[in-house]
Amino acid sequence: MNRRELLLGGASAMSFAAAAGFAGAVQAQAAREVVIGVIYPMSGASAQVGIDARHAFETALDIVNNDHALDLIGARGAGLSALGGAKLRLVFADHQADPQKGRAEAERLITQEKVSAIIGCYQSSVSATVSAVTERYGVPFLCADSSSPSLQRRGMKFFFRPAAQDEMFSAAMFDFFDAQKAKGKKIDTVALFFEDTIFGVDSSNVQRKLATERGYKIAADVKYRTNSPSLTAEVQQLKSADPDVLMPSSYTTDAMLLVKTTAELGYKPKNLVAQASGFSEQVTYDAVGDKLRGAITRASFSLDLAAKRPFITTVNDMFKARSTRDFNDNSSRQFMGLLLLAEAINRAGTTDGAKVRDALAATDIPGTSTIMPWARVRYGADGQNPDASPVLLQYVDGKFVTIFPTDVAIAGAIWPMNG
Amino acid sequence: MTAQALAQVLASGLLMGLIYALIAVGLSLIFGLMDVVNFAHGEFLMTAMYVAFGLVFLTSLDPVLLMPIVVAVLFGVGAVVYLGVVRFAMRAKANQGMVQIFATFGLATLLQGAAQYFLTPDYRSIGNSWLGGKTLELGGVFLPLPQIFGGLVSIAAFGGLYLLMSRTDFGKALEATREDQGAVALVGIDRNRVFTLGWGLGAALVGLAGAVLAIFYYIHPQVGATFGLIAYVTVALGGFGSVFGALVAGIIVGFVEALTAAILPPAMKSLGIYMLYLGVVFVRPSGLFGKL
Repeated sequence: MNRRELLLGGASAMSFAAAAGFAGAVQAQAAREVVIGVIYPMSGASAQVGIDARHAFETALDIVNNDHALDLIGARGAGLSALGGAKLRLVFADHQADPQKGRAEAERLITQEKVSAIIGCYQSSVSATVSAVTERYGVPFLCADSSSPSLQRRGMKFFFRPAAQDEMFSAAMFDFFDAQKAKGKKIDTVALFFEDTIFGVDSSNVQRKLATERGYKIAADVKYRTNSPSLTAEVQQLKSADPDVLMPSSYTTDAMLLVKTTAELGYKPKNLVAQASGFSEQVTYDAVGDKLRGAITRASFSLDLAAKRPFITTVNDMFKARSTRDFNDNSSRQFMGLLLLAEAINRAGTTDGAKVRDALAATDIPGTSTIMPWARVRYGADGQNPDASPVLLQYVDGKFVTIFPTDVAIAGAIWPMNG
Repeated sequence: MTAQALAQVLASGLLMGLIYALIAVGLSLIFGLMDVVNFAHGEFLMTAMYVAFGLVFLTSLDPVLLMPIVVAVLFGVGAVVYLGVVRFAMRAKANQGMVQIFATFGLATLLQGAAQYFLTPDYRSIGNSWLGGKTLELGGVFLPLPQIFGGLVSIAAFGGLYLLMSRTDFGKALEATREDQGAVALVGIDRNRVFTLGWGLGAALVGLAGAVLAIFYYIHPQVGATFGLIAYVTVALGGFGSVFGALVAGIIVGFVEALTAAILPPAMKSLGIYMLYLGVVFVRPSGLFGKL
C-alpha cells in the first residue's frame, strides 16, 4: 500500500464514519418527530382545494407542535407528550385527482418517507385507491373529507373517517324535506345531477334510494361528465323536468358551470340543495353567488358555531392568516382530521401502525373539544364515525347560515329559495 | 324530447361548435404550415384568458374592447415560442418528430405550472362585460349573448382568414411554404419569417378564442386541457392543415356533442365525438378536407 492508497483509504473510512454519524443524528432526530403523509390535489382542476388543505394541515400542525391555551384536542402542551414531546412533520404529495397517482404516492410515502400514517384525499375515487395501499402496508389512513359511503364498506381495518358520509348527509337533506313538508311547504319532486366518479355516483345512489323510500318523485336523473366544456344539454333536461328541488353533487368547475348555464338557459331552480364539494367553495360564490341566493348545502361545519365555542374563532383566525379565507366544509374537516390522528398517535405512545390503529379504534372524544358540530368522535367496526352530525347551511345575504337540524339552527329556512 | 328542447340543444351545439372551430383553426394552420403539432395549444388558450382577465383587472374596461390587445399579445407569444423553442426543436438531427412533441408538451407543462404558481389555482371570471349574463330568447330557445357574440367573432375570423390567405402576399407566401418549403427558399421567401408569422397568426387565432371564452367561461390554469383535447379531435376530423375543415369539423363536433348529451346519458357525451373521430380515422384518415 503506497501513501496515495493509504490516504484514499483513510479518507473513505473517515467519510464512512461521518456518514454513519450523520445517520445516527438523523435517527436521533427521527425519534423526536412523527412523520405523516398528506395526499391532496396540489395541481389540476382541484388544486386550490389542495392548497387550502395545506394551510389547514399547517394550522393543525401549529396547534399540535406548540402550546396553545385552547380547549381543543391536541392544543395544550407542545408536541406529542407520550412520545417525549415529539413534533409532527408533514410530507405533502400531489395526486392531481388521479386515483393511480394517489396510489403511487401512497406507496412512495410509506416505503421511502416512512410515514406513520396517511391523511387524504378529497376526491373519494383517490381515497379508495390510497386506503387500499395503506391497508396492505398496515399503515392507518385517516379519511378527512371524502364522503362516499362505499369507502367504509370494504372491511378495512386501517381506514378511519371522523366526518359524516353521504348517506348521513343525504338523510339530513331528506329529514329536512320531510320537516318542510310537515310545515305545509310543497316538495314533491327532486332532480339528481351528479358527476361521473365515485363521489357523484355514490351520492346519487343514496339520494335515489332515500327519495323512493320517502315518497319523492325523481323528475330527472342526470349523470354528467366531469370537467365538461359545456352543460347546456344537461341543464336543458333539468329545465324540462323543473323539479321542486335540484340536488347537485359536483366539484368546483362543474358547480360554477351548472349555475352559469341555468341562468343562461332561463332556468331558475325552485330550490337547490347541494352535496357540498363545489358548493362549499368560496370561489363558486365569488363567481356566481348572485345566482345562488338561498341555495342550501350540506356541511360538516359552520362558523356560527363559534358563538358556543369561542376557540373556533381563534383557530379560524390562525387559518385565515395563512390562507386569507375562513374555514369551510373541506378545510375544517382536514384540520380536525390531523388533530384526531395526532391525538390517537399520542394515546398509542408509539408510531407502530398496528398500535396506532388500535388507538384510533378506541377513540372516544366529545364533540365539544372539536371545532365541528359533531356529537362525538368514535369509530364503528367499519371505521366510520356514526356521531358526525351533519348540518345544512343556507346562503343568505352573502354568507352561510345554519338552518338544520333545528337544535343547532340559527335561522329558519327560506323556502322556496327565491321566495 | 320536445321540438323546443331539440332546437335549444341544436342552437347551443352550433354556438359552442363555432367556438371549438375558432380554438382549433390555429392548431390546424400551424400543422399545415410546418407539420408541427402544437401540444401547448390549450395552454395558449389559457394564457389568452388570463391576459384578458389581467387587462380587465387593470383597466376596468369591457373585455370586448380589450380583445385586440389580447390577440396582439398572443401573436407575440406565438412568434416568441417559434423563435425560442420550436425553431431549435426543428433542428434536431435525430427523432425530430419526437423532439417537437416533447418541446411543445414541455412548454404546455411549463405554462400550466407557471400559471398555477404565479396566478394561483383559484377560479377567476370576468364579471363586468356588457354582454355578461344577458340572454336572448327566441320562441322559447335561449341564446346567451356572449355565445352569440363568440359565434359571430368566429365567423368573422374565418372570413378574415380566408381573405388573408387568398388576397395578400403573406397569405400566398404562407400557402407556398405549405406546398413546398424547399422551393420557396429558392424564390427568395424567408422561410423562417413565414414560420414566425405563421406561429404568431395561429396563436393570435386561439387568442381571439380565449378572449371570447373569457367573457363567459371560468379561468383556471387547467382550462386549456378542457378545450385542448376537443381542438385536436376537431383538427383531425376536419383534416390536419385545412382551415375550412376546422370550421366544418368544429360545428360538427358541437352538434354531435350536444345531441349525444341529449339522447344518451350526458356522462357519455364525448362518446359521439370519439365515435365520429374513429369513423373518420378508419374511413378517411386524412380527415374531411385534409390533404395528408
